[in-house]
Amino acid sequence: MTLPEVQTQQKDDLRIGVYVCHCGLNIAGTVDCEQVVAFAATLPHVVLAKDNRYTCSDQGQELIKKDIKEHRLNRVVVASCSPRLHEPTFRRACEEAGLNKYLFEMANIREHCSWVHLYEKEAATEKAKDLVRMAVAKAALLEPETESVVPIINKALVIGGGVAGIQAALDLADTGYKVFLVEKEPSIGGRMAQIDKTFPTMDCSICILAPKMSDAGRHPNIELLTNSDILDVKGYIGNFKVKVLKKPRYVTKDCSACGDCATACPVTAPNEFDLGLATRHAIYTPFAQAVPSTYIVDRNLCLNKENIIVCDKCIKACERKTIDFNMKPETLELDVGTIIVATGADVYDPASLVNYGYTKYPNVITSLEFERLINAGGPSAGHLLRPTDMRIPKSVAFIQCVGSRSEKGNLYCSNVCCMNTIKDALLIKEHWPETEIYVYYVDIRAFGKGFEDLYKRARKEGVHFIRGLPSEIWEDRKTRGLWLVGENTLLREVYKTNVEMVILSIGLQPRVDSDIIQRLCNLSRTPDGFFMEAHPKLRPVDAPTGGIFLAGCAESPKDIKDSVTQASAAAARASILMAQGKVTVEAITSQLTPESCTGCQMCVKVCPFNAITSVPELKKVELIEAACSGCGTCSAECPFNAITMHHFTDAQLFAQIDAATEVDADKKIVAFCCNWCSYAGADFAGVSRMQYPTNVRVIRTMCSGRVAPKFVERAFARGAAAVLVSGCHIGDCHYINANLQTEKRVERLWKKMERLGLNKNRLQLVWVSAAEGERFASKIKEMQSTVSNVNPEEIEKSRKMTERG
Amino acid sequence: MPVRTWRRPLDADKVKPPQAEVHIIKDRCKGCGYCIEFCPKDVLEESNEINKRGIHPPKVIDEERCALCGFCSAVCPDFAIYTTEKNCKEKKTTK
Repeated sequence: MTLPEVQTQQKDDLRIGVYVCHCGLNIAGTVDCEQVVAFAATLPHVVLAKDNRYTCSDQGQELIKKDIKEHRLNRVVVASCSPRLHEPTFRRACEEAGLNKYLFEMANIREHCSWVHLYEKEAATEKAKDLVRMAVAKAALLEPETESVVPIINKALVIGGGVAGIQAALDLADTGYKVFLVEKEPSIGGRMAQIDKTFPTMDCSICILAPKMSDAGRHPNIELLTNSDILDVKGYIGNFKVKVLKKPRYVTKDCSACGDCATACPVTAPNEFDLGLATRHAIYTPFAQAVPSTYIVDRNLCLNKENIIVCDKCIKACERKTIDFNMKPETLELDVGTIIVATGADVYDPASLVNYGYTKYPNVITSLEFERLINAGGPSAGHLLRPTDMRIPKSVAFIQCVGSRSEKGNLYCSNVCCMNTIKDALLIKEHWPETEIYVYYVDIRAFGKGFEDLYKRARKEGVHFIRGLPSEIWEDRKTRGLWLVGENTLLREVYKTNVEMVILSIGLQPRVDSDIIQRLCNLSRTPDGFFMEAHPKLRPVDAPTGGIFLAGCAESPKDIKDSVTQASAAAARASILMAQGKVTVEAITSQLTPESCTGCQMCVKVCPFNAITSVPELKKVELIEAACSGCGTCSAECPFNAITMHHFTDAQLFAQIDAATEVDADKKIVAFCCNWCSYAGADFAGVSRMQYPTNVRVIRTMCSGRVAPKFVERAFARGAAAVLVSGCHIGDCHYINANLQTEKRVERLWKKMERLGLNKNRLQLVWVSAAEGERFASKIKEMQSTVSNVNPEEIEKSRKMTERG
Repeated sequence: MPVRTWRRPLDADKVKPPQAEVHIIKDRCKGCGYCIEFCPKDVLEESNEINKRGIHPPKVIDEERCALCGFCSAVCPDFAIYTTEKNCKEKKTTK
């Protein structure tokens, strides 16, 4: 039996240098680095192998640069952490030494080895050797590539007009870039506009926000698109095409916001801005400081249905004749270079916690309702009124962690509620000092600048802090007061307290419609549901997709200061791109060999970016490299090997498979992981030190769509016990939908395996997101039973897989 | 924003829309049904009684629902319906 000939050497003078990094004890604590170096030196074409305590340090990089020059290295392999972390660092070092950066390859012996096999030192060392062998095998076949440069459009899109979106838009606009600020509500302002005071300085929230709002509304560089939805986002870093649906307000810009129309309007409904505590009319402005101040007609409430003007009271009342029921929705097409996602957060709905009686007892309110009640511009003109009798309560209880840090709601801490409650308690004390205030908490988290002082002040003012949440609240039928029962866990005694009003300190949670923005902008979400950053420490505002940045509560619950900080950071990050005016796009694209092409159009059908078009006259296809994003699914689909995927060529991947299966193949799992989700997921397993068996060898591809059936067959032909194909979840693919092809191919392979009488469990497909390290680890664990049950006959049988079609 | 609005707004009493009186001049009605069809609040329906012209004039289902938009009188070809505002100050206190 012969395997397809693999090109093992194209030049006689291949000179590979291998650097094995200790990463302090992160790698060296588990892997015997000296052994790995000694092994690396024996590999073909390796002329130099060294170990280094920190290869990413300046000295480490200098060493590589020096060696490239002195030893005439023309390929460099670094065995250290994930290429997702330091590949750019080492590539740059290579470039500085005059070596094309695509002649660099990395072996991930930290996230994929030492950290996940902490207690299996020998097996981890063997795995590290294998990973180096695979990297060297690929390095031998690497080719220099040239990157193309694409211009960046000097315009930005900010999605969400809360304080984060406003700050980001203002910063970008002040820098001199045109900004489109898109907000789905009729006014910008977001949650901050609803809040009365801010902690810890007790500034009036709207007083400090309103000037920013009007700055954003007036700024010559900002185009405000309120009452608008994002319909579609296409394109890539520097060149996004965004479709925005601008819904009509039915009131023109000439509106002077006098309010005569609203007075005339005969219909009313609860005002969402005031959480239903006040009414509004069908023609309204959500709040006094709204930007734009132009009124808006709620057509769901208005008596005038489509095409029929039944009621013209507002039209008659408007002196400036600004009301126009013929306005139509508009779809705008925007070309922008960068996008900042600042979509904010929803608040937790406590009605599902039945024991607290929210919506059953009117005197149980939420902290956001409290903000509207205590606000001088709110429905009660700043009086904290008990909904049942419109009287100011003499005793109030706050309940912390409602919907946070609990299996019943969300598992995470919502970050702002402790300080918000302390601020609220002080506000009550300020207005009505005699009020008895009880705060029932789990832990008080006063971690920020000035927070502890505020907490101390609250204690000094006589606010009672009781550790232990009430287990139940019930209403006193006569007084409409509320009884709270629970355990004071510090004193170990049961309390039963009667108060006149209860305020539930509700947490924050991801927007219900987060999945829309996630899909449109190709973002990832953490298990909590908030958008995930590219790196939690070093790239906290970059989204994993190039040219997209995150700000505010969309990324995680945070207070106003942190939102503003993050927004300015995101604006700065976006400015860096736009100031450069151009961006180099990785040379990982596909290339057509027209001589081999038969014009079968298989590739045309699978390309998610429409980069391949058919030329029927010539019986060929045409591939536009500039439109190619580099998933490689065309190359995997082509039956005639007419498409070459740069940097992930068939030969390179075959070489990696062969290297992975060189020894003890019958005990190994060959895993193909896509760069964006599943490889990152495996990295996450490493960072989280999730332990799993050592017999898996991960091969990175940009997309799971690159995994051609022939790669899987090759692995089986080489005697691998099992193969794992892994990619982003369906719908989350970074190449739109290339992973649908992965699914189809794996299903075809399963059928083929069944036909050949092979155990199809030996080939597994799993979708792993970047946050699902646990899923990756448990899949490898789960596959162990398959691996241990594979007998030599089966291995022998599968070796023939490539022979029979 | 998805808001749960379950409370009675605090200012619900103050913004009580004006109370309407709907006047139907039954014998003028020729039964075209425009007023019933176009009323945005569905205040009217066809009655069982028969007028001079031998048709069923409309009747009021719920006068409180009327928002006084006056569209019924505008569309009536026979000037058979009109609305006026009740100028009674006494307010029904519900709660």
